[in-house]
Amino acid sequence: MRETMRRRTRIATVLCMLAAGMMALVGSAMAAPAEKYLHVNVEDPTRGGSVNVNVPLSMAEKILPAINNHDLHYGKVSIHNAEMNGVDVRALLDAVRTAPDNEFVTVKDKDSDVRVAKANGNIIVHVIDKKNKQQRVDVTVPLKVVDALFSTAKNDELDIAAALRALSDAGDVLLVTVQDSSEKVRVWVDSRNTQD
Amino acid sequence: MILLAKVALGMAGVGLASAGVLCSEGVVYVKVIEKQPQGLHIRVIAPAMLAPIAVHLAPQPALARAAREIQPYMPAIRAAVDGMRDSDDVVFVEVKGPGQHVEVAKSGGSIVVDVDDAGETVHVSTPIRAVSSTVDELAAASSNSL
Repeated sequence: MRETMRRRTRIATVLCMLAAGMMALVGSAMAAPAEKYLHVNVEDPTRGGSVNVNVPLSMAEKILPAINNHDLHYGKVSIHNAEMNGVDVRALLDAVRTAPDNEFVTVKDKDSDVRVAKANGNIIVHVIDKKNKQQRVDVTVPLKVVDALFSTAKNDELDIAAALRALSDAGDVLLVTVQDSSEKVRVWVDSRNTQD
Repeated sequence: MILLAKVALGMAGVGLASAGVLCSEGVVYVKVIEKQPQGLHIRVIAPAMLAPIAVHLAPQPALARAAREIQPYMPAIRAAVDGMRDSDDVVFVEVKGPGQHVEVAKSGGSIVVDVDDAGETVHVSTPIRAVSSTVDELAAASSNSL
């Protein structure tokens, strides 16, 4: 009789531990999404210097709408008509969004190589400036972020705050790399609060 | 004798409670070490609660001028302080160069600034709650001066 009681107690203990483990697993799965960080890294090996910046995107989302200065107001930046050169950016974006993955622009001349493409839901721009210390610029922007940028009602505004929100929802992404003979700059978003 | 002991116990209790209240917002820690023979070694540990009180007690004309100058940036400063308070511990900025290192971080509810160069080492740690209270005092001074 006592042996049966002990066995039942052991079984109950094991079941309780299993239940606790399951609850912990479910809890962690249902927890809020991890904080995303915008990282900027500038390396200058020739001078032996580096700059690292890590900004929680949620913090940037809070600060940006509070800055009202020059062309930046409430998280939106005004673009002057002259800079748009009469291009209907929304129509252009719509065309790109609906188009299949493709290379849209390729320019090669003695001074520079430029390539603009769409791949895996990203707009990709590669530029090689042959005159400027063989500077290479690679930009990858998720289309959702571009859409958010142009999500304002006004044609001459970019919604930076909306783009940051879209960036939070996007996965880890290497946004910009700039490399020349002396410096390397990287801008990326991931869930880690360090650059290690 | 017992009466004396009770008085001493009471005074110690009041002292302890006062220290507790003073340190309830944490402490501001400043350390400056000059890297030269006979160089300065400064260490200051002060209750962070004194910062907003000092702003409150500062001469009104000077405070009003400072408050007016900072007024346009107040929403951004408040948002930054709130954002920092809510964020996890993180190194916001790190600059490394030959013989110098600068780091601005959030660590355990404080903003920590470390500067290390050929001339000196500086470490400043300020509780974010105290920064928030000080900003509130500045904002109040700004609204009073209008």
